[in-house]
Amino acid sequence: MFEAFSLPFFQKGLIEILILAIPAGLIGSWVVLRSLAFFSHAIGTASFPGLVLADGIGFSPALGAFGAAGFFAGLTALLGRSRRASNDSVTALVLVGCLAFGVILASDVFGSTASVDTLLFGSLLSIGTSDILLAAAAAVLAVATTVLLGHRWLARGFDETAASRVGAGAAWLDAVLLLTVAVTVTASLNAVGALLVTVLIVVPAATVRLFAQRITTQLVASVLLVAVLGSFGLWLSYQTDAPPGATIAVVSGITFGLALGVRSLGRRGGRIAAATALVLGAGVIAGCGGSGSNGDQLKVVATTTQVGDFVEQIGGDRVEVTTILQPNTDPHDYEPRPSDVKAVADADLVFRSGGHLDEWANDIVADSGSGAEVVDLSSGLPVQLEGEEEHEHAHEEEAAHSSESEAGHSHEGEAKPAEEEGHEHGDEVDPHWWHDPVNVIAATKEIDTALSEASPDNASYFSERTASFDKEARELDRQIAACVKQVPASERKIVTDHDAFGYFTNRYEIESVGTVIPALTTQAEPSAGDLADLEQTIKEENVKAIFPESSVSPALAEAVAEDTGASTSYTLYADTLGPEGSNGETWMSMMKANTDSLMLGMTGGQTDCFGTVG
Amino acid sequence: MSSKPDPRDDTAASQGDAAVLARHTELGYAGQPVLSGLEFEIPTGTRVGVLGPNGGGKTTLFRALLGELTPLGGTLEVNSTTATVAQTDRSRLDYPVSALDVAVMGTLGRLPWWRRPGRRERKRALGALEKVGLADLAGSTFGDLSGGQRQRVLIARALTADAEMLLMDEPFTGLDNKSEARLETLIDELSSSGHTVLIATHEVEQASRWDLVLCLNKTQISFGDPAVALSKPVLEATYGGHIVEIPGQPDLGVLPAHHHHDH
Ligand SMILES: Nc1ncnc2c1ncn2[C@@H]1O[C@H](COP(=O)(O)OP(=O)(O)OP(=O)(O)O)[C@@H](O)[C@H]1O
Ligand SMILES: [Mg+2]
Repeated sequence: MFEAFSLPFFQKGLIEILILAIPAGLIGSWVVLRSLAFFSHAIGTASFPGLVLADGIGFSPALGAFGAAGFFAGLTALLGRSRRASNDSVTALVLVGCLAFGVILASDVFGSTASVDTLLFGSLLSIGTSDILLAAAAAVLAVATTVLLGHRWLARGFDETAASRVGAGAAWLDAVLLLTVAVTVTASLNAVGALLVTVLIVVPAATVRLFAQRITTQLVASVLLVAVLGSFGLWLSYQTDAPPGATIAVVSGITFGLALGVRSLGRRGGRIAAATALVLGAGVIAGCGGSGSNGDQLKVVATTTQVGDFVEQIGGDRVEVTTILQPNTDPHDYEPRPSDVKAVADADLVFRSGGHLDEWANDIVADSGSGAEVVDLSSGLPVQLEGEEEHEHAHEEEAAHSSESEAGHSHEGEAKPAEEEGHEHGDEVDPHWWHDPVNVIAATKEIDTALSEASPDNASYFSERTASFDKEARELDRQIAACVKQVPASERKIVTDHDAFGYFTNRYEIESVGTVIPALTTQAEPSAGDLADLEQTIKEENVKAIFPESSVSPALAEAVAEDTGASTSYTLYADTLGPEGSNGETWMSMMKANTDSLMLGMTGGQTDCFGTVG
Repeated sequence: MSSKPDPRDDTAASQGDAAVLARHTELGYAGQPVLSGLEFEIPTGTRVGVLGPNGGGKTTLFRALLGELTPLGGTLEVNSTTATVAQTDRSRLDYPVSALDVAVMGTLGRLPWWRRPGRRERKRALGALEKVGLADLAGSTFGDLSGGQRQRVLIARALTADAEMLLMDEPFTGLDNKSEARLETLIDELSSSGHTVLIATHEVEQASRWDLVLCLNKTQISFGDPAVALSKPVLEATYGGHIVEIPGQPDLGVLPAHHHHDH
């Protein structure tokens, strides 16, 4: 039950949380004593625009976060001083501004990307040396300021009016405190993320506050409590396979609840009861732990559901495949779980889909201390389309382009359709390559090669399976092409709210008329202008169906359908396969389901190809 | 720290032994006067009862004396280092500090920012606690003390800060008879050791035992020796009843009956 402690990624997470315990406990105590809890939460959230900026321009995310946090702290201090408004309302005001600014930056200026998400949510399972150094720097700062200024912060928190009489009232004291809070929050971002950072800082200190009678007790006990809750939560997340940040948050919350209950029972008996409850809880959870694994098989990790399916098709019963993403989850929201990192740590091979869909794969491999070879299936594919534009004006050009030219770009077979407009910024390759069977056939060849190298004894087994899969895939490709041809070229027009179908429409000569969400990611928000343009196009081109992507809320697509009369009854699988038992549980069935949905949509429900859509 | 007099500025101190001197003073918030017509001179070492109804301006006057408010009109000279003894129900009872910790806070104003209070400061604080009769409770948690004891800890903090003038805003609220008596004795002791003490209170009877009274109700109703200044019409004007206009320069007390008829 303690094997976790021997894993490199777990050890790094543990070191990180133990170091972070120092600034979190110390500064958390001041935050609680000075009623700055809301402020520190706001600082965490307000670092968001900084993260987006750092990611977009390309400097260190920590610097971006700290810049934004520092700016936020400064602005709050300034506004709080010049007006007599309550601190919380000022904080809320600045916070809303920062968030709005971040969202605008993310959706309109830069396309939002995966690394921003990692920082919004963070993970103790992907801690690097720089994170540990940052935590150590925050620890040094927290200790230094507490030793030097603690007495004055204490006096000022005791009663502010009188404090100004006893020389503790200088505004710079508060400024230093806010700044130290900002540094601590920034240092904690990578571990628990901007949204949970308050839990790490505020909740343990607030728990101690219920019992502490002296400031020294408060400070020391808070540091210890963060250390205990943090390492317990980390270990528990490993045992239960939940995200560590959230686990620590839950454990802290429960502890606070217990403490509150116990506090009302009386001080002394309470402490014993709390300790008992904690030990009991730990015992129960430990009892549930434990796992077994199969010895001989080749251990392989696949990042996405479709890559997992390909590897299973080729590997058969000779490989044990762990797929990290779950069906119908948005890859952009992925947060690594302990089991993922552990699977990677144990793996012989890691297959990734490539592009921004699973950018995090290389980090996990590095952090897990795994020696696994990473095979990026997107490199060397026969059909490569360029990624969509990320800038707003580019979308407008694109929409104009596709509505002007009736013979649209997707009618030209396997050429690069995005090339006419894509050159200024679009150097990214569209990562949804598996929607073209030609690419899938090439990818399975690569999987075959990699598996055979890793396990030469099974090489002929893998080759046989590859050959039969490829045959099926070719047959499927023919069937789809023949079926789609039933619809006259001028009526092969679709609208989808996700840009994932470029490869499919390109392969089968279907025109994609605009998109509801004009970006590659599902996180960008469309502007009112984009929507109006789109609805205009739908009406002009007489598009009959809109296809909401299965893993994205269809609300927006439905809104457009309502305005234009086009149907939204059919859905497409875009980023992931469907769950087990659905009509998209394998790549083959997913392709059939998508074809049927497209056909039904384009023909007003008249024609399908495989009868997979009920 | 703003209202500390410059120690080199002898003229202020030599003007007499006035701890506070108010001339045509008008106080208020955001340019709106709430208290006007202040005309008084408080000699050093006196006990002054500040009377007035709710909203009469007592706390406003104290805030001005602390330098938190600048007068809208007239002048308000403060020639003493001043400390406030806030109402204890406003301080934070769950704060993790001992009585000694609170008393030590008084020393911070005289220490440079990088210095932490050391043994010398703790000794001073203990001495102050002894003066207010709390030496044996120095190690208790502040929030566990009784209201009267907390009041005295705050006085000890003012003493550690070397305050020459203490402002007590309704210090008797919520005290039992014994604590009240103790606090009254302490006020007497402070005054005889040279401290000026201003006490905002609603107890007319109590105020009449001190050296001076200041009656406020949006304007200064009267000021002076309680025997003279606490007449029935003054009390009526202070606590409702008729509104008495105070004309001209009633430097040393007013003659309320006279002015009452005058109008
Ligand atoms: N911060 C403030 N901003 C604006 N007006 C204020 C402020 N504080 C007090 N006032 C107003 O000033 C007037 C005097 O208030 P003050 O608190 O000085 O009265 P008080 O004599 O201390 O009353 P109490 O006996 O209730 O403590 C009141 O009308 C009050 O509404
Ligand atoms: Mg008052």
